[in-house]
Amino acid sequence: MDGLIGASAEALRLLFTGDREIWEIVAISFSVSFRAILYIVPLAILSAFALAYGNFPGRRVLITIVNALVALPAVVVGLLLYMLLSSSGPFGGWRLLFTQGAMIIGQMILAFPLLVAMIHVSLQGVDLSAWQTARTLGASIFRAMFTIMREVRFGLIAAIVAGFGRVVSEVGCSIMVGGNILHHTRNIPTAIALETSKGEFEQGIALGAVLITLALALNFAVATVRGRDMARH
Amino acid sequence: MSNLPEFITIQNVQKYISNRMVLDIDELVVYQSECVVVHGPNGSGKSTLLKILAGLMTPDSGVATTNGVVRPWRQAIREFRANAVYLHQTPYLFDRSVEDNIAYGLRFRNRSQSVLFSEVQSAMEWAGLSHLAKRNARDLSGGEKQRVALTRARILEPKLLLLDEPTAAMDRKSRKQTFSLIRDLASGGNAVYIATHEAADLYQPDRVIQLDYGKLVV
Repeated sequence: MDGLIGASAEALRLLFTGDREIWEIVAISFSVSFRAILYIVPLAILSAFALAYGNFPGRRVLITIVNALVALPAVVVGLLLYMLLSSSGPFGGWRLLFTQGAMIIGQMILAFPLLVAMIHVSLQGVDLSAWQTARTLGASIFRAMFTIMREVRFGLIAAIVAGFGRVVSEVGCSIMVGGNILHHTRNIPTAIALETSKGEFEQGIALGAVLITLALALNFAVATVRGRDMARH
Repeated sequence: MSNLPEFITIQNVQKYISNRMVLDIDELVVYQSECVVVHGPNGSGKSTLLKILAGLMTPDSGVATTNGVVRPWRQAIREFRANAVYLHQTPYLFDRSVEDNIAYGLRFRNRSQSVLFSEVQSAMEWAGLSHLAKRNARDLSGGEKQRVALTRARILEPKLLLLDEPTAAMDRKSRKQTFSLIRDLASGGNAVYIATHEAADLYQPDRVIQLDYGKLVV
């Protein structure tokens, strides 16, 4: 118990004294996950719209596959990506393995099904007449999409927050394709895993606190915006 | 036959939904500036016909002629969309103010902000909605919502206005107001097609067409 209290106190000291190594890991973590979500959100939105409003063969099968992939283990994505990006793999020439680029690709793959599934559910909550109304009033396909996105904005924000939460805390893929290299690819989850394996809990607790604070802050922000909007009606 | 100029002609149009034929029309001519009531029981294909004329639904087969030119459906759909506005039985109003809803379609046309504002104001006056301008459209009654939807369509000055059961589930006062607006729209030079169960006389149409099991019977 004393060990836990002591480690926690040391963790707080590291955080509040601006320990450079800790905050660099936090910055890498946020930068990688933010870019992964930024790059994959447009494709996820387009896919969700196609699944919600498209009329093509195999649509239902695709919905089932996307829903199944929500639970895709990060370590499996890491393994597949490792095989593709390693020097003997088909994309070895790109020299992406053990770079932030590889971590971003892995996190994009992980976030994609979750984002598509959640946005698709939000879109299903809007009547098809919303889409038809936008189109009959002269909106192009993209304008109509923006209109519907505005209608489901809270579902969209919730999906993005959930997607970010999923990738910022995953360890399996990042450690395999990122390599946990200090100053380069060491992010919060991989650092926690490393420090814990060494029996040094202070840094792990400090980084864990950052993750928990982030999760609380994001969810609080979404709930506040949603609450304000509901009060307005 | 009408003395009015032809606007759209659809021929041999068939539409299947879930392997069931819901529309089978040999020929239908839409004349410019005519008011037509489309009668028929539930499931007779009224909404499907209106959605095809709005370019919101593609038939499985058929030929379309617009302004005297036979066009492939893909091209015809563009023509339909550019000229027609379809109103659902339960209008969908966007989660924004009444004036923003009415301005929605105008924003896709080249209008300066001041012209847009003045057009929206005069459209709201026409429908008696000025006092509701800043209200969220979702908070309105059924009759008020239908009036917002009609105004939102009217402001675009479509050549063809397609109204699907516009007074269904309305109280007497709202129906009276809506009838008055629709008659005003129908006398304004654009073609109006109204799918309804109501007595056709209420709309003072130029003609009435009857659909039964997807076929035109009158």
